[in-house]
Amino acid sequence: MPTAAERKALRGGLQKLNENMVTLAELSELSIRKAVESLAHLDPESSQEVFTLDEEIYALQLEVERTCVDLIALHAPVAGDLRTITTSLKITTDLDRIGRYAKDVAETTLQIRQARPAGLDKVPNLSKMVEQTIEMVDAAVDAFVRRDAESVRNLGEVDDTVDAMHDEIFHDIVNDMKNGSLDVEVGARYILVVRHLERIADHAVNIGERVVYMVTGERVPRVRAADRAKGTNPAWPLGRDS
Amino acid sequence: MTAKMEVRGLSAWYGAKRALDGVTFDVGENSVTAIIGPSGCGKSTLIRCMNRMHELVPKAKVEGQVLLDGKNVYDLDAVAVRRRVGMVFQKANPFPTMSVYDNVAAGLRLNGVRDRDTLDATVEKSLKLAALWDEVKEGVDASGVSLSGGQQQRLCIARALAVEPEVLLMDEPCSALDPIATAKIEDLIFDLKREYTVVIVTHNMQQAARVADMTAFMYLGKLVELNRTRDLFEKPKETLTENYITGRFG
Ligand SMILES: Nc1ncnc2c1ncn2[C@@H]1O[C@H](COP(=O)(O)OP(=O)(O)OP(=O)(O)O)[C@@H](O)[C@H]1O
Ligand SMILES: [Mg+2]
Repeated sequence: MPTAAERKALRGGLQKLNENMVTLAELSELSIRKAVESLAHLDPESSQEVFTLDEEIYALQLEVERTCVDLIALHAPVAGDLRTITTSLKITTDLDRIGRYAKDVAETTLQIRQARPAGLDKVPNLSKMVEQTIEMVDAAVDAFVRRDAESVRNLGEVDDTVDAMHDEIFHDIVNDMKNGSLDVEVGARYILVVRHLERIADHAVNIGERVVYMVTGERVPRVRAADRAKGTNPAWPLGRDS
Repeated sequence: MTAKMEVRGLSAWYGAKRALDGVTFDVGENSVTAIIGPSGCGKSTLIRCMNRMHELVPKAKVEGQVLLDGKNVYDLDAVAVRRRVGMVFQKANPFPTMSVYDNVAAGLRLNGVRDRDTLDATVEKSLKLAALWDEVKEGVDASGVSLSGGQQQRLCIARALAVEPEVLLMDEPCSALDPIATAKIEDLIFDLKREYTVVIVTHNMQQAARVADMTAFMYLGKLVELNRTRDLFEKPKETLTENYITGRFG
């Protein structure tokens, strides 16, 4: 086992890792908020902020990776320490992906602004889906920060509602494009935005699953939405764990 | 997994001092079990009770049972038990006046084996098993203590293996060895479990993680947790274990 001095060094490294992770999580969340804001108001300045955030997120992700590699190589961590480090490594990827989708949404803002198509007042209302998605990311990030496994156990179910909204909005957009009330370019771009939001929610679910593992050591079995709806749970009971 | 040895409610004393307190656990056949824990927690005492060496200490006392293939070793002949359950000590202790060959053959001779061909074959086989043969085959008549520390440790392992024990108990076998010699012994432990059952006391947690199927954590004479090694290091059941392996102790 580590000596007191080694423990102190390890603790220092873990603290630094945690601070960086909290910042990274907050930046990723901020970038989605900024991205949907930029889209709602077709505001290029907010888009620009998202691009800057994306660079920050990437740099911080590299820093986190370096810290994790150092901690593993120098301290051979075990138990809760090891789970914190491997979870951080995995979560940075999810946070980075969230940042990328936010960037894609921000780019959509610029593209729509530039095209200046007619009928912008007919764009679909995404606010509920946006709210729900951000709430999921917020819950996942918060659970990580507070080391709280219980609050994210139902994230998969919340994700089902986001998926349902995705399908619904998709059909609305297609219908509006068909009957000519929505510009086809705007509609197509919105379909992508809705898709990005849906993916962001999936990454929030991933983060939630990782947090459960980090806190409890338990691997969350992946249940298909269809099975969850049926109330059955056949997929693989703890399949990955044993 | 069938249990090769079963320790049942084992307590041990040195005079009035209690060193083990109701230890119960199973050692699976053809597996490696590691025992970890802070200095003085009773690891050496435990494995010495498992082959009836503890009672050789004056004023020592044992209570409880240690089953070997279901039979209490304390109901069997002590010498026979020590032949079936061999021991390798922390500090290599080759017989100082004996050659490499005689060190390995000593146990066999003690058991009455005189036939030269049998002795030759067993000495070679044991030295090969202990990954020492290639280094000493030209000089098996050299004195055992002329070997390096790591070679001496492997010589003692060969000596223990020569009598073909069913269980091999190892008390910190690598603590005095450099990384290369340590790696050789870890390799050996890995190979050994095909034919033997191994229990290893170690202070090196990474070593336990590398070689052991099961790991036991002891504290203050008690067995706190016995778990699959992977689980013990990834998600220990007991907070005490977690505190120890992550260095949050004392
Ligand atoms: N010969 C002895 N006489 C008296 N007390 C002893 C003797 N050997 C061990 N003890 C005591 O019994 C307790 C357990 O000792 P033991 O040697 O089993 O610990 P250990 O876990 O192997 O420690 P280490 O990691 O330092 O080898 C300790 O408190 C020790 O002081
Ligand atoms: Mg000891």
